[in-house]
Amino acid sequence: MAMCLGKLETRSMHMQEYFARPLALLVVMVCGLAGFAAHAAEETASKADQQCLGCHSNKGLEKKLPNGETLSLHIDEPAFARSAHNVLGCSVCHGDVTIENHPPLKKEIKSVRENSLAMASVCRNCHGNVFERYEAGMHAALLRAGNPAAPFCTNCHNAHAAVAKAAFDLATGTPCSNCHSSIFTAYTGSVHGRARNKGRIEAPVCSTCHGAHDVTAASGGDHLKNTCFGCHAGALSAHQKWLPNAQRHLDTIACAACHTPGAKRKVDLRLYDTAARKGIAEKQGVPQFDLRARAVDNEDKGLSSGELQRLLQQFNPDGSNGKTILRGRLEVDGAVPIHQLADKSRAVSQCETCHRAGSAPFQRVTISISDPSGRPIRYDAHQDVLTSVVSVDSVRGFYVIGGTRIGLLDVLVVLALLAGIGGPIAHLTLSWWFGRPPKRIGGRADS
Amino acid sequence: MARVYVHPLPVRIWHWINAFGFVIMILTGFQIRYVGLVELMPFRSAVLLHNGVGFVLIANFFIWLVFYLFSDKIRVYHPDLSPTRHFLASIRQMRFYGYGIFKGEPNPHHISAYRKFNAMQSMAYQVMMLLLVPLQFYTGLLLWDVERFTGMIDVLGGVRVVDTAHVLTFIFFVGFIFIHPYLASLGHTRTAHFKAMISGYEDVEEEHETG
Repeated sequence: MAMCLGKLETRSMHMQEYFARPLALLVVMVCGLAGFAAHAAEETASKADQQCLGCHSNKGLEKKLPNGETLSLHIDEPAFARSAHNVLGCSVCHGDVTIENHPPLKKEIKSVRENSLAMASVCRNCHGNVFERYEAGMHAALLRAGNPAAPFCTNCHNAHAAVAKAAFDLATGTPCSNCHSSIFTAYTGSVHGRARNKGRIEAPVCSTCHGAHDVTAASGGDHLKNTCFGCHAGALSAHQKWLPNAQRHLDTIACAACHTPGAKRKVDLRLYDTAARKGIAEKQGVPQFDLRARAVDNEDKGLSSGELQRLLQQFNPDGSNGKTILRGRLEVDGAVPIHQLADKSRAVSQCETCHRAGSAPFQRVTISISDPSGRPIRYDAHQDVLTSVVSVDSVRGFYVIGGTRIGLLDVLVVLALLAGIGGPIAHLTLSWWFGRPPKRIGGRADS
Repeated sequence: MARVYVHPLPVRIWHWINAFGFVIMILTGFQIRYVGLVELMPFRSAVLLHNGVGFVLIANFFIWLVFYLFSDKIRVYHPDLSPTRHFLASIRQMRFYGYGIFKGEPNPHHISAYRKFNAMQSMAYQVMMLLLVPLQFYTGLLLWDVERFTGMIDVLGGVRVVDTAHVLTFIFFVGFIFIHPYLASLGHTRTAHFKAMISGYEDVEEEHETG
């Protein structure tokens, strides 16, 4: 390693200066790209990098960290030679390594994750646009929130074996499956996963629905529905052939709710701004939804219809003219089953599955809003918010004929039947009681 | 007894289409709303039949509307323009159905070509034909294609509000569909008014004929 650094000393010193000046860095990178293009094409490491690899290609080269972790210092030389980063060489990313501090490495590394996080800023120098997308996504939001498992660059990409657009491995689902293994297992058994494994490259993978860097919860907004229709452009006309109010069904029912026949379903009532015509999202750093919901939830057992009405009033202060409403959506309950999409021949097509009082999909109700990254924040509500007369206004945007019918109206139906049948019977009975059957009464009685 | 022509052909056509149509609408309405309790037909068949018959009834409504708008028979709905007299006549008619009929008193209403409805009927039928039936058709139309009419539905307060209005009117018609034929059986014979709605002619006592 000493030899390696010695040969690269001049270049490394210059690089340190350049790192402080992004424009200069750009010049270096362009020059680097031009200078190393030829040997990159040959998939071999440069002579300078080979000097680094003289030590770092040794398997088992590692460093014990103070927290007990082991930081691997091994670089797979053939993989690095094939990687997109080969054209840059070691020193573009590891500019802080100088003859004075290496070896041995003098900088303090508290943990593997902290080291990777620090190196992520180096990624940003070249991949700024990708970084912007990443920071708009759910993973970055989790990172900002201090989630110790939130992924960043090196969780998905091996910087020393990076190949363009090849972070995802279909067979294992990595890197997504590193954290979402049960979901990937569900996906591999789905109609999409099976199609992909049969070589149908048009079948979606994780990033098709969730994005690769700007990772979002697919259930937020209309993103997922639009993704489905992106491939299944004929879905609407296909449904219109047999399904009354097909467009409405497609708007208010998540595709997976019918196309994962064995899955448990639920109703999600989302706060929606009718003026802006979009779902309401929490403002960055001003979480209100959960606090407000807990404040009105007197028994801490989920919102009743009255409590839901009060919550809605909080989002509709005086003068807002009731622009915030709840829009209902039938969804699959749970992240795993939603990925078990089945062949369309097994999709739910029996209307009675939902259009029946007490149907399974209406046994669980959540109220939701999006967090700043688009991820839904949910709060449970009683199932009777769907059937209470109190909810006529607050849940005005969701109604399933038969399935969420209002109980009070059923009472009125019974009363109408009793009056309609009982009235004439009582009238007839009174006529016979007085001994004067109607046919003998008057001469011009009419209807 | 004299025979008076009180039900012109367009009215009779409208009436019987309306009658059978409403029976189908109520039966399919029960099937749609009460899957599990009512098993007359599959839900989807009930919806399609409900929608189809609904459009027939809307078209049929215009037979009634056009006939009365362009005919002097519209007077049957407002033979007496005095609200006070109309109100008092309604009270007399209610007293007859609730009390006098049991005592064998004569019907206070005398049928003629331009007075075929008693005061209660003319008031009730105007409310029904000008308010409840159009309301039912309108809300039914909105529910037939919620997406197409989403703007109007939002203005009215959402699909739940529209459906509630539709069901409330349905509840009224559920009661009416039983009470109407019963009242129709209270003529001088059980079937007199039914026959009149087929032939067009009502039997009336000549001394009460007013033309």
